[in-house]
Amino acid sequence: MSAILCPYCEAENIEGTDECQACGKSLMELSRRIPATSVEADLLRDRIERLWPKSPSKVAPTTPVGDVLKRMVDERIGCVMVVDGDKLVGIFSERDALMKLNTDAPKFLTRPISQFMTTSPVTLETNDKIAFALHKMNLGGYRHIPILFHGKLAGVISIRDILRYLAERVVAKKHH
Amino acid sequence: MTADDTVGNVMQIMRAQRNGAVLICDGPKLVGVFTERDALKLMASGADFSTPVREVMSTDPVTIADSATVGEAIRKMSEGGYRHLPIIDRQQHPKGMLAVSGIVHYLVDHFPETVYNLPPDPKAKPREREGA
Repeated sequence: MSAILCPYCEAENIEGTDECQACGKSLMELSRRIPATSVEADLLRDRIERLWPKSPSKVAPTTPVGDVLKRMVDERIGCVMVVDGDKLVGIFSERDALMKLNTDAPKFLTRPISQFMTTSPVTLETNDKIAFALHKMNLGGYRHIPILFHGKLAGVISIRDILRYLAERVVAKKHH
Repeated sequence: MTADDTVGNVMQIMRAQRNGAVLICDGPKLVGVFTERDALKLMASGADFSTPVREVMSTDPVTIADSATVGEAIRKMSEGGYRHLPIIDRQQHPKGMLAVSGIVHYLVDHFPETVYNLPPDPKAKPREREGA
């Protein structure tokens, strides 16, 4: 276990202690880890609203698969939100199309999308940190995450939004 | 895969390998790319999956050199809106595919303290001071 010295009275304290055990002054600033790079600091500071989540394309669970596919092509989007009234019940993405429909697509065009959607998708709130989105996308291999505002579907962010956000930062810091 | 393979065959290989894109080669030469997006368009239009992939693939894909930095890859993907970049060597031979998920994974690996130290639920906070 490492120790930190109180800058006020020089007493030894256990690392991570909030206040000096000898003089009672705050040691919070000492134990806060300083991010190694500015990109890393941005990820921890900026919130998802900073990515300007797009308003999501929504379909009802009963919508036929064929209609959903056409909409994804026409609107040039990678996924649609499946909503039952106000409630998000699933998400259907290009990946779902490849994995679940594939060359059998013609057989399934009239079936409801609810049979092929991914149920209970991972969601985040607009005020969550961008680092969370990166984490969830990496963990689950997702390219889209529905974004809620006070529990209600407000938007969607894609891995492309994150890429754009990162690109702005690596361009600014070319030698990083 | 080669340009003579059928679209259906290519799509089934993509599903089996869980790949969002495949390189289409003619011998050692890269001639095109076929992605999930292309597959989606075919499914939506009810196209015939027995057509050779050469008729529906994207030709002259934007590529990235195997010596490029991650920063260059991020810029190239972001500017073109690509999620996959074929990686080529100095002889212009394809070496592999760089996926956007690979970039995300790289970043998570390089900022481990930022990303892995996040609590599993953004709203969860320890009720009382831990340890010490």
